[in-house]
Amino acid sequence: MEQQSDLIAALATPEAVSAISLVRLSGKGASAVIEKLMKLEQGALTGRKRAVGDLAGIDYLVAISWPLGKSYTGEEMVDLMCHGSPGTAARILEELEKNGARLAAPGEFTRRAWLNGRLSSLDVLTLSARYTAGEQKTKHGDLTEELSELTSELEGFIEFSEDHEVSEEKQITLLLEKLLNRTQKLVVSVRNTEILPRVFIMGPMNAGKSTLFNKLNGKEIVVVSRRAGTTRDGATRIVPFSGRLVEISDSAGSGGTELDSQAYELLERSLKSGDRIVWLDPSCSSPPGKLMEQHEVLKVCSLSDKNPGKCKPGWLVLSSVTGVGVDKVIEFMITTHWESPSWRMQRMVGLLEEAISASKGHDIAMAAEIVGDVLREADKPQRYGDAVERALERFCVGK
Amino acid sequence: MRKRVLVIGGGHAGVEAAIASAAIGCRTTLVTPDISRISLMSCNPAMGGIAKGTLVREIDGLGGVAAESADSTAIQFRMLNTKKGPAVWGPRVQSDVTAYTSSQRAKLEEAGVQIVQGLVTKLIGPEKKITGVLLSRGIELNAEAFVLATGTFLNGMLYRGKISWPGGRRGDVSAVALEKDIRKRMFHVKRFKTGTSPRIIRSSIDTSCLEEQISHDMQFRFSWSSRAGVKNRETCWVTRTTGETEGIVKESLEKSALYSGRIHSKGPRYCPSFEDKVTKFPDRTGHPIHLEPMGLASRVMYLNGLSTSMPEEIQEKIVRSLPGFRNAVISAYGYTVEYTCFETGEFEKTMRLKRTDNLYVSGQILGTSGYEEAAATGLLAGANAARRVLGMEERVPARMTSYLGVMVDDLVTRGTDEPYRLFSSRSENRLNLRQDNADRRVFSFAAKLGTLSKKKTREFKIREKKYSKLKQELLSRRYQGKSIEEICKRPEVTPEDISEIIGYDQASVENREIITTLVLDMKYAGYVKRAEKRFRVRRRYSDVSLAHIKDYKIVGTVTIEAREALNKKRPGTLADAEAIPAVRQADLDALVLYLMKNSVSRET
Repeated sequence: MEQQSDLIAALATPEAVSAISLVRLSGKGASAVIEKLMKLEQGALTGRKRAVGDLAGIDYLVAISWPLGKSYTGEEMVDLMCHGSPGTAARILEELEKNGARLAAPGEFTRRAWLNGRLSSLDVLTLSARYTAGEQKTKHGDLTEELSELTSELEGFIEFSEDHEVSEEKQITLLLEKLLNRTQKLVVSVRNTEILPRVFIMGPMNAGKSTLFNKLNGKEIVVVSRRAGTTRDGATRIVPFSGRLVEISDSAGSGGTELDSQAYELLERSLKSGDRIVWLDPSCSSPPGKLMEQHEVLKVCSLSDKNPGKCKPGWLVLSSVTGVGVDKVIEFMITTHWESPSWRMQRMVGLLEEAISASKGHDIAMAAEIVGDVLREADKPQRYGDAVERALERFCVGK
Repeated sequence: MRKRVLVIGGGHAGVEAAIASAAIGCRTTLVTPDISRISLMSCNPAMGGIAKGTLVREIDGLGGVAAESADSTAIQFRMLNTKKGPAVWGPRVQSDVTAYTSSQRAKLEEAGVQIVQGLVTKLIGPEKKITGVLLSRGIELNAEAFVLATGTFLNGMLYRGKISWPGGRRGDVSAVALEKDIRKRMFHVKRFKTGTSPRIIRSSIDTSCLEEQISHDMQFRFSWSSRAGVKNRETCWVTRTTGETEGIVKESLEKSALYSGRIHSKGPRYCPSFEDKVTKFPDRTGHPIHLEPMGLASRVMYLNGLSTSMPEEIQEKIVRSLPGFRNAVISAYGYTVEYTCFETGEFEKTMRLKRTDNLYVSGQILGTSGYEEAAATGLLAGANAARRVLGMEERVPARMTSYLGVMVDDLVTRGTDEPYRLFSSRSENRLNLRQDNADRRVFSFAAKLGTLSKKKTREFKIREKKYSKLKQELLSRRYQGKSIEEICKRPEVTPEDISEIIGYDQASVENREIITTLVLDMKYAGYVKRAEKRFRVRRRYSDVSLAHIKDYKIVGTVTIEAREALNKKRPGTLADAEAIPAVRQADLDALVLYLMKNSVSRET
């Protein structure tokens, strides 16, 4: 019992008029509090039970209790289904606060579920991805569970298919392919829960920065947001490339006078670690050393349509007019950072592809070994630590 | 006077135990109630299978005899799982039961084991140091160490329908008095059960409508000392149960000894009775039933897959509902046997009972099932008994290098609440525990154990030289701009492909075996290395104290079930935590990670 955290409560459904609202209560003493407020016998809401009745004269409602270890949070938990008016829910919460509960922080229920081992890190990310994906309806289910199921399927196939008419090799391949597909989709959603990569297009004046910026915007023209840039005439757009959102900024050129150079200095100071720079210069003179030290920089020899054949080795030949090199710029922008969760998940994709090729090569034992690796990858909690923290922040109160 | 080891029981475990003991240099006596039934296959007439076949090859690599007997008495060979990857190939032979028995008896005689016919009724001397056994005819046999290999004989009870009678198996006595003595000595024991199928007169079956199964044309041998290649000397057949079969079973379920509530002990989940199959999968029909001859030109067929304890008249009905069996005549009815075995925790990984200095256990009384499992544990028990008697250190096989190691570790640290059968998935290093490399995997253990004959050791070293030579050659060769090693890693590339690429002479069986092992070693090297690393990390931490963890809540990634169990049982070390059933592999990994992160603070 002493393992349970303090009592938290929140409205789990939207704050609006509806048929039913759900107030969730989790933590030490959850059952006792409701038993008291509903004037029930002691123990009436301890374990997996249900009660209907009046709660402190506020509403006639249904209470469902969940036992320790079996609830969403893993703690003692009670769900109250009251009539769906914001006022009722508010009064219930007030009453609960008077009786020792405190209002939950956003994502706190899920955090407790995670800490108690009820949800894996991957589950949290999946949930969060489903949340942010909104209407895309990306239903991923529990990937870890599916992986475990696949493992049993594979083992059964290896040990017993001589005795029984179990699946054929082809079906194993199909199962793997299905899982691969789902993982790929999940990678895209998880990427979107990560901090957006910021890319700055920089370089001397008149190097073709704005032309490239407009070209990139036009490539897949979905402008998600617009906000004030850091530069005099700069602009920032969030643009999706192959399902990956990137924040791109056009910025002031270096080497200008007065206002321009002030703007450039401001820009340099506002750069954060992790920001990437696409450095454009038709004359291929090296970008400032400070930038090169602190950031990933793609050196681009721009305006190549005007000055063909002048490019130095190590520089990317680009013409925003003809489109030469634009693909390489995009690739640079969306390559995920190696320690981000989606990069880790991309590893799972790679492993699943290996498993499929093993299965096609009639080596199910090898495929099973690789699926084991995928499972270990999915189970590694601390790897996803930061991403999980961020994902938890995205949940609304009550989840 | 040379020291003596006495083996009680003449089944698959007892024979290997006696031969291992003799190989190490002890005078060895084997006592069995019926010397005409040594290593009798009391159930299906076959050796090997998935993981089990690999174990038979390990036995050969350790100097045991089951592999050689299986080769010389095989009447049909099949390699199971050929489409699931070479790591899980399962060699299996149909055996001539009578020939197998004579072969094993000859092996005992060759090894100089004295065979005594008699029923042991009690142990003599204090538990700490047993000095002898008493036979039912009043004779006392003395020795310095003892191996119990009683199989299903310890207070064995046979059940069929409403009737039950004492017996170790059909036609044998039950060791009732010996079991009483063991209980009196306060050893913790439990009851397990297993069953067998009816046998049918071959001429009464119409095989014209059945699917025929013949030998796989493959130059295989279990023992590296045998000649390879089993000719198809006998045919097997497959029939399938019809809806009628399941109907009969469902109707008569309460007549079965198993379902009438008279047997409560645990049976093997993975070798279930037909009653279990019908109950667990009520909608399924068409269960395959394999007809296996009991021997070359035997007039009796074994019905593999139809283990039952129904009354005789129901067994008749069941059998006759099978296609091709309308006029079938049953020559012996199926039955269930319930027997006493030792509780987990009573024995060490050396197979010695913890409370004793010189009493070892092996085979089914450890809680195992299967001839192969029995033979392998018998070998280990016999060898360690002899080693202890001669003042040498007892040995334990490693989990990562053999199925024997996996099995011994599982039985001792995890325990079993049903007859333990070996599976490939019980090993975390399956891609290495293959049948092709069994000799290489177990050689260093065999050398330590001292059971491998000079002849076999010499033969192994010759193979090993060839292996190293070929390895050098493969490492130096390239093909299409890639190293051979890289090419081996592709899942679809087979040893035959590599042989062709490098123009290797595949004419001899030995050459083929060597290149197979080499190519597969290269293919799986990366996986094996990682599996071994994971295992090492865990082992490194296995004796790390967990005492400083006051509440497992601190290890956030441990599941709630595991945390409850850990908080309740308070394991001293990670190894103790591993033995708790609620603690899963992932929990152990989480604990290891926690311990790694906090390794500084634990120094204190």
